[in-house]
Amino acid sequence: MTIKKYKYIRLIVISFLAILVSQSIIFRNYLLPIIGIVLSSSLLFYLRSKLKNEFLADERDYKIGGDAARWAIQIFNTFAVIVMIILYAQQDLNPSFLPIATTLAYSVCFLMILYSLIFRYLDKATFAKNRKLYIIIGIVLILMVAFSGLKLFSAEDNWICQNGQWVQHGHPAFPAPSVACTK
Amino acid sequence: MENRIKEIRTKLHLTQEDVAKKTGVRRETIVFLEQGKYNPSLKLAYEVAKTLKTSVDKLFFLKY
Repeated sequence: MTIKKYKYIRLIVISFLAILVSQSIIFRNYLLPIIGIVLSSSLLFYLRSKLKNEFLADERDYKIGGDAARWAIQIFNTFAVIVMIILYAQQDLNPSFLPIATTLAYSVCFLMILYSLIFRYLDKATFAKNRKLYIIIGIVLILMVAFSGLKLFSAEDNWICQNGQWVQHGHPAFPAPSVACTK
Repeated sequence: MENRIKEIRTKLHLTQEDVAKKTGVRRETIVFLEQGKYNPSLKLAYEVAKTLKTSVDKLFFLKY
């Protein structure tokens, strides 16, 4: 297996996966993309192990990757915070602005906390010294995400599909889903 | 950081691909090293010096 052949196969696998995911979303099947992701990851992992004396990435790539990730996080956070403030300020214009702003706020917070934790973890000396503190922060972060997820996916303050119509349950902060209610 | 990678590599009749394979990096990294556009880790500097049968201090130097 050569690196060129591997890259060619990887491109085909990713293209196939993209088609599978988009079709699954259309047909509202969430099991197929999960199976597809697991299978394609396993295939690529196996093929990568067959690359002998070939280097897909080296220390320069990892350095560039690190810089690119840091830049991407900074740009995303700045952009998301600006959009979030504007959407919060303009929430009276459109009720869907509030959930978008809230999602952005949670995303930025989650990303920042995750980045800090990973950074500290990789900086092993600091991690070893303040191990308990980072474990506590990690647990708090997981609980926050779990709580947010529960709140988001719970039936409280949500729209429920009943007899072909979206019925308001509680006081949802967002408008009824735009997709057709078929139950 | 300046270096003599290209000079020594040519003397030894080695290609960039040869050096890349022996040091465990991609050819592009050797290109950037030769052009002085990338400062290698100590490990890579040592590997390159070893491949080119020289020492790190003779291969890399600072130009003031």
